[in-house]
Formats: sequence, structure tokens, C-alpha cells
Amino acid sequence: MRAYAAFTAKEFTEYTRTYKLLVIGLVFLLFGISSPLAAKFMPEIISQFMPAGIEITITEPAALDSWMQFLKNISQIGAFVLVILLSGIMAGEYSRGTLIHILTKGLSRKTVILSKFTAAALLWTGAYLLCFGVAYGYTWYFWRKTVNTPGLAEAITALWVFGILLTAITVLGGVLVRSSYGTLLFTGALVVIQILLNMLPDVQDYNPIQLANGGTPLMQGQLESGSLIKPMIVAAAGIAICIIAACAAFNKKKL
Amino acid sequence: MNILEIEGLRKKFGAHQVLDGLNIVVPEHSVFGFLGKNGAGKTTTMKIVLGLLKADAGEVRVLGEKVEYGQTSTNRFVGYLPDVPEFYSYMTPKEYLRLCGRITGMTDKQIMRKSEELLELTGLKGVKKRIGGFSRGMKQRLGIAQALFNEPKLLICDEPTSALDPVGRREVLDIMEQVREKTTVIFSTHVLSDVERICDRVAVLNDGKTVMEGTLGEIKERHRKNSLLIEFTRKESMDRFMEEPLFRQLLKQSKREGSQIIIHTKDIEQAEAEIIRGLNETRLMPSRLEILEPSLEGLFMEAIQ
Repeated sequence: MRAYAAFTAKEFTEYTRTYKLLVIGLVFLLFGISSPLAAKFMPEIISQFMPAGIEITITEPAALDSWMQFLKNISQIGAFVLVILLSGIMAGEYSRGTLIHILTKGLSRKTVILSKFTAAALLWTGAYLLCFGVAYGYTWYFWRKTVNTPGLAEAITALWVFGILLTAITVLGGVLVRSSYGTLLFTGALVVIQILLNMLPDVQDYNPIQLANGGTPLMQGQLESGSLIKPMIVAAAGIAICIIAACAAFNKKKL
Repeated sequence: MNILEIEGLRKKFGAHQVLDGLNIVVPEHSVFGFLGKNGAGKTTTMKIVLGLLKADAGEVRVLGEKVEYGQTSTNRFVGYLPDVPEFYSYMTPKEYLRLCGRITGMTDKQIMRKSEELLELTGLKGVKKRIGGFSRGMKQRLGIAQALFNEPKLLICDEPTSALDPVGRREVLDIMEQVREKTTVIFSTHVLSDVERICDRVAVLNDGKTVMEGTLGEIKERHRKNSLLIEFTRKESMDRFMEEPLFRQLLKQSKREGSQIIIHTKDIEQAEAEIIRGLNETRLMPSRLEILEPSLEGLFMEAIQ
């Protein structure tokens, strides 16, 4: 347990001193600020650029628009930034051979994987909470009462679970592929497979990709509340499988 | 008590048989030199001992306990220094040692005490910069510090001196001399002068097998050849020596190299007496007359032929 805590702490030192924490913090902070602002001022900006004489009616922006912006930003660019930052999670250790000292000191290989996953999941959770907190503050400032849009809790939780799933997949990819480009490719491929599977209506209800895509339709009322629970269960199983597989594969890796 | 026993170890990389039935025994409290040319399988052997590589056949025991591939509990007895030790470059040496200590389950107090002691030993005390800015010699010394951190019974060093300048090499050898009382040291190298300086036992690896093993004294004794070297400063003296009928019998088994001649004989004292008498009679004065000791280099070259 002490070894686990020590190695997890080492991961955080690494995030801080290699500026990963700074990068992800700034990116997510920016999204937290820009999502509500974009929702609020987009109609004005658009009308400024309209040629004279053309009239379009834009509905008054609402808290829902702010949250839609938030979900879109985080599920796309935010997730991408996360995966890029984590792609070197194993590759750096493999290529520099830094794990040799650690493992020959008796740290179990399982602990290495669990520590790395814990630290990465905490990194994502922290960045996500920061972004959400800021977005919530601005949304409340602009729209007050409607800030708690129906379905918000479910949509937010779903996207968080999706981030954890991405983290777990990236850890597994890192163990299997050894290089950071390979890891990116591995995670990308698994996401693309989920997108392709989503074309099958039967799979849709269970597909974890719904956690990233389903928030907006849920809050607009196109999806019933509670319909993201099944994908969340599938994602949880997927997270467990990825981590168990990563431990098993890492036990067989030569260093 | 043997600290390390290797029996019938085999390992193949592709079509290349790196280890082919290797047997080695290392007794406690020795400094064991593990020799062999580049690619002889020294690193492979060490990695198998550490459970980092899987052997095709054979058995390795550390303090009587069998080594398992992957997760081996025998590593609690072992400290390892790889040929090029790599650390987290964003840490300071103190932080790195603290991580090592926590991983092995030491208390913060123990970690503090041990860090002080080892940073002192390796001359890194007071170094506050991050490891990223270290020279190779400093990294090597930090490598020793981390390898000794959990007070191992066995310290395995993979070519600890080969990438260092003479000063760095000396420092590393000095440190290894100092720790020999507390721990058994195995170190692989192809620098023979390092071996002569600090090892008491050696094994020479060639074609995946040990071709020579024992204490340095034993090996030299076993390969002693009764040879005498005579050297003249001037070529004419040498020619006269060669033609002198007094020495004809002795010169039957000899080899001339420039102004030197090496004479092989069964009874070295008898031959020496004869030569000195003869030299005295003929007034031929050599600049050197010496009984040849086998050199480690000569033995090594012979062993790996």
C-alpha cells in the first residue's frame, strides 16, 4: 500500500515537473470559461457578421446552450488532449529503462499499472472538476435559475466515466505497444470501433461512445433520462477489463 | 554459503544461442568478476538472475531460493546497477532515493539515515540539481547508491566502469571496495585491470559457457608456464647469445621477438642457474632477466580463443 502511494505520488511529481498538469489545467480552464461565454455571445457575434438586409431569427441563448458547448468541447478536444498527454505513460518508462531499478527493488508490476491508472484517472478527474466548476459558475452568472438544466447530472457523470474509460484504454495501449504513437493509435482505433458499432441500432443502447455523444440529446429531451446508465455499466466493465489485461500483459513484458 | 548458484542456464535469441549450459557458483563475501567479450551473454545472465528475462532452461538460485521470471521475490536480496542506469530526470537524487526507500517499505526515518549515508559514500551529498543535469559518472554513482539502498546481500553491477573516464572509474571501484565487507559483489566487465584491482574470484564467459573459473591466484597458478625472458639492449649481444654453444640446449624451446627471447623449460631454477653461469662466463650482460608471470590478459585471450 505504501509502495502504491509512493509510486502514485511519483506520477504526480512527473505530471507537475513535465508540465502535463499545467497544460491540461490551462486547456480545461479555458473550456470552462469559453463554453458559457460562447453560448451567451454567439448570437450577437453572428448578427454582427451578417450582411445587411438578411434577417435570421436566433433563439435567445439559454443555460442548455452553455452545457451543450461544454459537452462538445470536452468530449472532443478535451478528450483528445487527455489522450495525447497520457500516450507516453508507459512509452517513456519502456524506452528509458527507468522501471528497471523500481522493479528490481521489489515493486510489483501490478502496482506499477494500478498506480499509473490511479494517477491518470485523478488527473482527468481534477481537470474535469475544474472545468465543470468554472463553467457552472459562469452559467449561473448568466442564467441564474436555469443553471441546473434537466439531465445535467447524468450527462456530466457519463462524460466523466467516458474519460476514465479512455484513460484505462490508454494505459492498456501503453503496456502493449511500447511507443507513444502506437498508444495513440491503439486508443484511437478503439474509439473508432465504438463509433462504427454505433451504427447498429441494437448496440447503441449499450455503446460507451454514447457517454460522450448522448449528453446533448439527453438534455434536449430526445433521450429518456436514465438511458446512459447501460453504457456506463458497459464502460465500467471495460475499464476493469483494460486494467486487468494491462496487468497481465505487463507481467509478460521483458524490460 | 553460496549467494548465487546458476545451473545449466540456456537462452536463445532467435537463432543465436547466447547461453549454452552456463554454470556459476558465487560464494558469499567475494568480489566476483564476470568476464567475457561484448555480446558474450553477461548482461543476459544478469537479467535472468533479476527475473527480467526468461531462461529457456536451467535454474538460478539466490541464497538457495529459486528465481522466477516476472515477479521474483529473490530481488529483496539483490541490488542492481545496469550498465547505463536511467532515472527520472525531473527528480533530485534525494527525492529519487526516497522513492526507492518507500517502494521497499522503509520508514521515513530509515530512509533519511540511509540516504545521508549513501549520498556521502557516493560523493553526491549536497547535490541539489535534478538528475537530468548529471554527468555519466554522477549517474553511475547514484546508481550504486540506489542499488545499495535496501542493504542487499548481493550487488550486481553490469559494466559499471566501461563508460567512465579514469577519474570516474576510480571513484566507482573505490566505492565497490568499500562495500565488499557488507555485501557480495558481482560485476561484469571487459576491463581487465579493474578485475585485477578488486576481484578475488573470476569467471570467463565464452560461447555461452564458463571457460575459466576460480580465484585469481588459482587461475594464474593453473596456467603458469615455466618461462624465462631475457632482453638485451643491443642486437649484437642478442646474436652472440643465440650463437653461444653453452646455451644451445636451452634455446631449443624458445621464441625470439626482436631483442627479447622467451625460453620455455621444465625446471625453471635449473635453467636460470645455467643461464646466469653462462652469461657470467661469456660476459654477455642482459638488460632484463625475468621469470614470466601469466598475465590476466594473456589468460583471457587464451580462454576465449
